[in-house]
Amino acid sequence: MARETLEVDVLIVGGGPGGLAAAIRLAQLQNAAGGEPLSVAVIEKAREAGAHQLSGALLDPSTLADLIPDFKAKGAPLESEVHEDHIYFLTPARRVRLPIVPPPFRNHGNYIISLHAFTKWLAAQVEAEGIDLFTGFPGQSVLFDGTRVVGVRTGDKGVGRHGTRKPTFEPGADILAKVTIFADGVRGHLTKELMRTLGLGPRWHPAQYAIGLKEIWEVPPDRIAPGTVIHTLGYPLRMEEFGGSWLYAMPGGRLSVGFVVGLDYRDPLFDPHAAFQRFKLHPDVRPLLEGGQMVRYGAKALPEGGWNTQPRLYMDGGLIVGDAANFVNSMRLKGIHLAMRSGMLAAETAFAAIRAGDTSAAALSQYKAVVDASAIRDELYPVRNVHQAFGAGMLAGMAYAGVAMVVGDHPGRDLHGHAGHTRMRRIADYYGLKKADDLTGSNAVVPDRKITFDKLTGVHYAGVAHEEDQPVHLLVHTEVCHTICGDEYGHPCVRFCPASVYEMVPDGNGSRRLQINASNCVHCKTCDIMDPYGVITWVPPEGGGGPQYDGM
Amino acid sequence: MILVIAEQRDGRLNRASWEAIAAAQELAGAEPVTVAVAGRGVNAVAADLAAAAVARVLTVDDAALAAYTADGFVQAFRQVIDAVSPAYVVFPHTYQTRDFAPALAARLGRPLVTDVIGIKADGGPAFSRPMFQGKLVADVVLQGPAPHLVSVQIGAFRADAVKKGAAPAAVEAAAVTIDAAAIRQQAEAPFQEARQAVDLSQAERIVAVGRGIKQQDNVALAERLAAAFGAELAASRPICDNGWLPMERQIGSSGQTVAPKLYVALGISGAIQHLVGMKGARTIVAVNKDPEAPIFEVADYGIAGDLFEVAPAIIAELQK
Amino acid sequence: MKIAVCIKQVPTREWQPRLNDTGTWIREQDVSYEMNEPDAYALEEGLRLREKHGGEVVVCSAGPARVQQVIREALARGADRAVHVEDDRLAAADAYTAAVALAPAMAEEKFDLVLTGLQSDDQGHAQFGPVLAATLGVPHSTIIMAVEIDGARMRVKRELEGGWFQHVTMPLPALLTIQSGINQLRYATLKGIMAAKKKEIRKAAPPADLPAGLKVSALYVPQKTKQTVMIGGSAAEAAAELVRRLREEARAL
Repeated sequence: MARETLEVDVLIVGGGPGGLAAAIRLAQLQNAAGGEPLSVAVIEKAREAGAHQLSGALLDPSTLADLIPDFKAKGAPLESEVHEDHIYFLTPARRVRLPIVPPPFRNHGNYIISLHAFTKWLAAQVEAEGIDLFTGFPGQSVLFDGTRVVGVRTGDKGVGRHGTRKPTFEPGADILAKVTIFADGVRGHLTKELMRTLGLGPRWHPAQYAIGLKEIWEVPPDRIAPGTVIHTLGYPLRMEEFGGSWLYAMPGGRLSVGFVVGLDYRDPLFDPHAAFQRFKLHPDVRPLLEGGQMVRYGAKALPEGGWNTQPRLYMDGGLIVGDAANFVNSMRLKGIHLAMRSGMLAAETAFAAIRAGDTSAAALSQYKAVVDASAIRDELYPVRNVHQAFGAGMLAGMAYAGVAMVVGDHPGRDLHGHAGHTRMRRIADYYGLKKADDLTGSNAVVPDRKITFDKLTGVHYAGVAHEEDQPVHLLVHTEVCHTICGDEYGHPCVRFCPASVYEMVPDGNGSRRLQINASNCVHCKTCDIMDPYGVITWVPPEGGGGPQYDGM
Repeated sequence: MILVIAEQRDGRLNRASWEAIAAAQELAGAEPVTVAVAGRGVNAVAADLAAAAVARVLTVDDAALAAYTADGFVQAFRQVIDAVSPAYVVFPHTYQTRDFAPALAARLGRPLVTDVIGIKADGGPAFSRPMFQGKLVADVVLQGPAPHLVSVQIGAFRADAVKKGAAPAAVEAAAVTIDAAAIRQQAEAPFQEARQAVDLSQAERIVAVGRGIKQQDNVALAERLAAAFGAELAASRPICDNGWLPMERQIGSSGQTVAPKLYVALGISGAIQHLVGMKGARTIVAVNKDPEAPIFEVADYGIAGDLFEVAPAIIAELQK
Repeated sequence: MKIAVCIKQVPTREWQPRLNDTGTWIREQDVSYEMNEPDAYALEEGLRLREKHGGEVVVCSAGPARVQQVIREALARGADRAVHVEDDRLAAADAYTAAVALAPAMAEEKFDLVLTGLQSDDQGHAQFGPVLAATLGVPHSTIIMAVEIDGARMRVKRELEGGWFQHVTMPLPALLTIQSGINQLRYATLKGIMAAKKKEIRKAAPPADLPAGLKVSALYVPQKTKQTVMIGGSAAEAAAELVRRLREEARAL
């Protein structure tokens, strides 16, 4: 069967806020400049734009207002303007209100949104410009000509579980482009390939990540005023763990409840999902949820490392934007506006380069120059060491964050980070035991199925669906699993995965084997990040598969 | 007056006809119920039906109806309905009803409520039917003039609840003429075929096995239990993922959705993904060693125990 | 041959039921939609028949503007053009109303064959096909597993209950409702998606006097009413008690 080939001027890989903002900006530039038509294509692995988008979400509308000034008239789906901000430190039994809401946590003028709905709306703006948005087409691999990026090959469809071609087999297409904009999101697997192949990664600043878990609840509408934003620090996390919670109240009694945990925790038996469940049982949180109903669930990794962890943003024929470039302000818990801003700037550089007939790395380095002169740097540079400081512990981190907030630009040396998974300790080191072969988390919660739920129930509420007859899309060197991992780390994959993809099951010979429930996968990328041996590689499953984050 | 359309093939009554009569009797209150049956050589079937407490049984016996066709049956029952002017027409929701009843309703210019699982006397009456693949139930009210057409889900009403008459009801031939030339379909004799795929949605009884079965070798025990119940064997996801049973026997959100008369869950904990595929079953039995397992929340009968002891005991009991 | 395929847009299979404030219909906010699965098989069958016998495949759908999503998808998979009977009142139309709404625009086209899925995954009335056939005045057959066309006649394999099948022959024009699994669905290609944008979607209004249809007075999540009976005792005792109750109480045996 012949492989399709498509040639375009600009290919955008990933239909999230960054990629779609790039597409809109390209259309605007083309409309303003006229002349030669510009062909733009966007590919997105989800069945439909927005289906894989998960965030809290609070939107700083600054970039949106620049990109689409009449966004309100165009019906941008904004759930609620933020009216009230609270931040608390939780102890096991009570909450302590922070005397002031620190500036990064002040959200007046921001909006609570559903990123799914917002992305769907952005996609409609893109399609209204006549741009081809191909949903259900994951980028499988980068196409190179030497060190020049010339496009992307999309995933094959119709491949059976054992790699055989089904009668409906459709080979992936080669999409060739003068400029490819990589907007493949947090821990994007194509960006990862670029970093490895072209050596784009920052030498002293490995990327840092966290995992965010989210549920939407429906509670009696009079319980909490829409537009209320609450953040907490502390319980159930310990001083050695980075993270906290959010509660955002939307109209109609809908409540976005979420929990973020840094993917650099030390305790190998720690379970981020269990921490989230435990948080909901806190005496100041539970009454908000009691009698309500959990209606959606999801999880996604998020970049935490900040400014210094950005890869080199340009190469021959390619640019990197958004979460893929780690453009998230972890102090403000915001990245949507940065992703969109970087998408706009990348579009401007790409457009100029194509018009000038030079899409070399030298020409595209203009993107880095404009990012350095942009609001992205203004926002990220002053807080560039914050997450790295949390590596020294919660109190040091908070003190550092406080200094960064007040002083702004930190004058001293940059703090080096460690890739988060390298901080996980072996059981023997952490617990001082020879062997603790225990699959149960150190913070496990028995789900009551009212306030707390197991992961598998969550998977149901994530709307996850994949073609069942396809190869497993989590490539694991499984020999580690049944030889050393149990003794050393107690199979942490069964705990850090928020979707019960990884399970250790009896192998019938008195031992255990790894079972990968690939079709539970919510595409959060945590396993690709957090596995202590680095033996898990996430690759995209057949296009269209994954979560269905309606309203998330 | 309420008219029931009974179904027969080759002189054998479809048992679902009794369920439609039961529904009609429930709906009728004091009103009379009439049963109609069409085909060729339907007198014996009509005599069977006359045992129910109904006003009369109407037959449409015509060579042109010997083999079922949609056009033939629309013609036949259109005339019966015009002649008897019923308030309601009740059908069993069989494949045959699905083939002709909507066209009949269209000819009459009346809506049809299909797949009814319950009748609520107040409010109109309202007819309950599943929607959104059983995720929701809708109470539906028929608007506009009679006749109102309703088909009832197989198994939703109980054939043994049919009120029987003191004496057999009168059997009468309906005054119907069939224009054979106007029947456009030509039906050949039905045939049975080895099914390529297992269609569990049609199974009356299902024994489903889950992780509690522990090893592939033990699946044979579930097979024996299924045989003892006269049931199809099915499984929850992990069993099919392991390849212990084929994927087509998987019940749940990524497998089939079923609503059998009896569902026996053996060693299934009851993850929500499984429950959405089977909670519509009429009677659910759960055997699981964990008394806190969620499967017990949807079960009608629960045995908290070791399935390796309980299943053989049930087999022995059934074989007594 | 001129083939029509009627398709419906329904909430995705993964959709979690949420109700509106009056509890009479679903809350359409936060719903993602997809092509009704049986209709996708009908479309595939239509495309295969076109490949074999020539002609064109026209997708027909009734509903508000949002149904363009599935129309585009059908065009991307290879349908030649589309007829969209657009009206906001058709957003929650029952099968009878939808068929009456589509019939005039379809009658104009004089199709040789009309295909549709055997039922919808949302309302599940399983009526649309036969009602449309009656309204168009063409013969029909339902739950079809195979289609052979020979000139002006066609022989189809109809599924009956319990593993039984039957062949039915009828003249064209005619309507068939297609059983899921009759074929294997093809994937949309990039070129197909791009070509779809240039294909014609003819818009038509429904007839002015749409029928009132069925009224949903309440929509709700099914509630279990029976209490779970936990049966104790030894395995043999529990088994005996269970079988007795299944026979006498549940009458499930």
